[in-house]
Amino acid sequence: MRTIVTTLGTDRVRRLRATLTVLLAAAAAGYVPFYFAPFQVFQLTMVLLYAVALSGLNLLVGFGGQISLGHGAFFAAGAYTAAVMLDRHDTGHLATLPVAAAGCFLLGLGFGVPALRLRGLYLALVTLSFAVFLPPLLKRLEPLTGGSMGLTVEKLQPPAWSGLAEDQWTYFVVLVVTTVALLLARNLLRSRVGRALLALRDNESAAEVMGVRLSLHKTLAFAWSAMFAGVAGCLYTWVIGFVSPDSFSFVLSVTLLAGLVVGGLASLYGPLLGAAFVMYVPSVSQDLDEAAPGVVFGLLIIAVMYVAPTGLAGLPGRVRGLVARRLPRPAAAPDRTPETGSPPDARPEPQAGDGPFATPGPADPAVVDAEPVGAPPRTEKE
Amino acid sequence: MSEPTGTEATAEADFLTVSGLHAGYGQAHVLQGLDFSVARGEVCAVLGPNGAGKTTTLRALCGMVRGRGSVTLNGTQLLGRSPEHAARLGVAHVPEGRGTFNDLTVEENLRIGAHLRGGLWRRSRVERAAVAADLERVYGHFPRLRRRSGQAAGSLSGGEQQMLAIGRALMLRPTLLLLDEPSLGLAPLVTRELFEIVRTVNEEERTTVVVVEQNAQLALDIAHRAHVLEAGRLVLSGPARQIREDGQVAEVYLGVSALARKAG
Amino acid sequence: MSVVTDLLQQVVEGLGSGAVYASLALALVLIHRFTGIVNFAQGELAMLSTYVAWQLVASGMPFWLALPVTLAVSFAGGMLVERLVIRPVQGAPELTVVIVTVGLFIFVNALAGLVWSFTVKDFPQPFPDGGLYLAGVRLDWSTLGMIAVVAVVMGLLYLLFQHTSIGLVMRAVAGNPASARLSGIRVGRVLMLGWGLAATVGAVSGVLVAPVLFLEPNMMGGVLVYAFAAATLGGFDSPVGAVVGGLFVGVAETLTGAYVDVIGADLKVGVPLVIILAVLLVRPQGLFGRAAVERA
Repeated sequence: MRTIVTTLGTDRVRRLRATLTVLLAAAAAGYVPFYFAPFQVFQLTMVLLYAVALSGLNLLVGFGGQISLGHGAFFAAGAYTAAVMLDRHDTGHLATLPVAAAGCFLLGLGFGVPALRLRGLYLALVTLSFAVFLPPLLKRLEPLTGGSMGLTVEKLQPPAWSGLAEDQWTYFVVLVVTTVALLLARNLLRSRVGRALLALRDNESAAEVMGVRLSLHKTLAFAWSAMFAGVAGCLYTWVIGFVSPDSFSFVLSVTLLAGLVVGGLASLYGPLLGAAFVMYVPSVSQDLDEAAPGVVFGLLIIAVMYVAPTGLAGLPGRVRGLVARRLPRPAAAPDRTPETGSPPDARPEPQAGDGPFATPGPADPAVVDAEPVGAPPRTEKE
Repeated sequence: MSEPTGTEATAEADFLTVSGLHAGYGQAHVLQGLDFSVARGEVCAVLGPNGAGKTTTLRALCGMVRGRGSVTLNGTQLLGRSPEHAARLGVAHVPEGRGTFNDLTVEENLRIGAHLRGGLWRRSRVERAAVAADLERVYGHFPRLRRRSGQAAGSLSGGEQQMLAIGRALMLRPTLLLLDEPSLGLAPLVTRELFEIVRTVNEEERTTVVVVEQNAQLALDIAHRAHVLEAGRLVLSGPARQIREDGQVAEVYLGVSALARKAG
Repeated sequence: MSVVTDLLQQVVEGLGSGAVYASLALALVLIHRFTGIVNFAQGELAMLSTYVAWQLVASGMPFWLALPVTLAVSFAGGMLVERLVIRPVQGAPELTVVIVTVGLFIFVNALAGLVWSFTVKDFPQPFPDGGLYLAGVRLDWSTLGMIAVVAVVMGLLYLLFQHTSIGLVMRAVAGNPASARLSGIRVGRVLMLGWGLAATVGAVSGVLVAPVLFLEPNMMGGVLVYAFAAATLGGFDSPVGAVVGGLFVGVAETLTGAYVDVIGADLKVGVPLVIILAVLLVRPQGLFGRAAVERA
């Protein structure tokens, strides 16, 4: 009984805390464009739109356990869809968003079907090849895309009634789209698709037995994730007002993956942190050397995979887990016996070298700490 | 063929000594403190129901699983060593599911077993002669393997693969041979042949053998001593003959009915 | 007649670039055989090796002396990468290891830029100018040289794997590391050797392609994509497949570039994408791969 009471209590506290956090975040987000200089507001806008792309990539990598080295290409596809529509057809900004989203979703399906029949590695190969192929293709389609010169289109303009400056208006529009996208990503994970994905990631064969259709869900996850990248690309066109093939080289794909890994796989706010990385690490370290961002990103990725597979977003959870293990366990312990399931903060004893039972990495139990509230615990059965 | 006595009270009685052995995987604590010893040249059967910790015991002996406590072979501590190190100390483990190198030919599989002797690139004349002699010895035990020496191991039948796995282990010239469920998935006739060969190897080469088996009847036929495990603890130890003939023990712990024993 | 000659000419050129793809694909397949992972940093490691060769030549060393030194450095470097970068995540989920190789890719690429800058460098052509004519087809010494080098590499690898004890041990480790360990093989050391070997074979591709593409940190990015297509086509488990796949991809690329006007020189990089997709749809295990392909 006491357990139930305690649980109810913590539940209410948690809900209250979550509400407060949301309110505070909303207030802060609303205040930001009036406090910072236009250039800084622009940078924050970029962080938001990168976060959309990263949360899509997160669906795929963090939750689906698949890897894409070509999300920059989907980003580019979304950006060019918007740019071409604005340039040739003068459709207005808002109309470009659903078209870019749907187009990239279909593109993702197209590549996912052959690539995901097999092991995840082939998706990486296919997406990498696509990312390398797209810039020359964009250059070739000059009548449509403006070739290597790119296209200059109209940026978002604030309507007169808003009384906002251009950077402020853009910020708010992107903020709205990003919020919707992040909520959508969260709900996707809570939906049947999301639960199937998590089951897949944690135990493919068990998921298969449960009737989860592997390749279908993987392909859908990839298509969703491509769609998010496309939406981010569309926002990019709105914000920058210029697209060119060289803005979307293979480096963008790799940078997105790097940002996600550093920000935190399989976490809901990891993409936001990662997006900040994608935006600020190059702009800060580029002053030192052209190569510095790559050195930093490369080392960070490897370091994160070694010491904190949950990335920055997972750090608090991991620290909590470490602390909890030091403290004596309360009497009302989780209702799992040690034989049937390991406690969520337990790591397998570190094995020297290469024992077959060492399992660090994203499948690490500690990832659970970073998982969204809605995600079912790994041991729970459907 | 002499009847196993199981009581060779020599100084060699404690060739392999296991004491206070705890082992498991991650959170799963499988072995709860085992104590037993095996004399040199003995065949020791480890029996028990599924999940009793038989396989874990063998894996702890060869370093595939970490353990606490002590395992000494001829006075040398085995615990805390890697499998490759244990192999260098003369422990040859034939894992459950055989673990043959399926892309390699039968002879290449056997040569891998001898790889600890001789250089990386080429062997000296003496070394080559020694390996050739070992090959002859193994082919002598397993004539079937000789006929298939150039064939890929993956194309062999289950029984032949098991023979190959044991043959490869013998190429190590082991002082301790660990067999994990050699009868798994094999036809009864093949299993019987296999166990006869193990008995011959033990008698001719004085190799100490620890065999883990579901099929208690078969294992007890060739073993000198037997240990029965249940839930990670030893519940019964003794000369194999005694355990075999104590019908009640067999029924309670091993699920072997008296009728089946007579039929076998 | 001249149509045929022209076609043959294109095929020869394709085989030349195919040789480069083949050697990088060979390196990828070696690593895949040993560890079951795809090393996304393989091309960048080759690029780094090529910079080492360039540095040696630039400091006055004759090319044919710089080459063996470079290969030795690459071998040591590959072993070091296995020990320092890959070993800590061995046994981790495939995704973790792949992400680590992507991190290595980014790091090595940037490191080369940091040390040698992103400006394009001339790389000496090791083979003499000119060539010979055969039935009206011009065979450049450089093309013949590239093909010969890859043939030699293949031959040496065959000797190593089929006729030495260490080769046998390496094949055993690639096939079943757990059993290899039980036979007393120090698997960690063998894996280091495997990575060293792959880095050496990859370095050959970098040195071969540098005179054509000119040396810069992003030189191998495109080659890597072709090598992936080659390995997919040949089968990720088959060294022979890697070479055949590499040559095929090279020829396919050259022919499409030359004869399909829509593609032309600039869109040739779409060829590997099409090949990968086609192989995955039609014969996912590749031409020489084993039929049993792990399904997702």
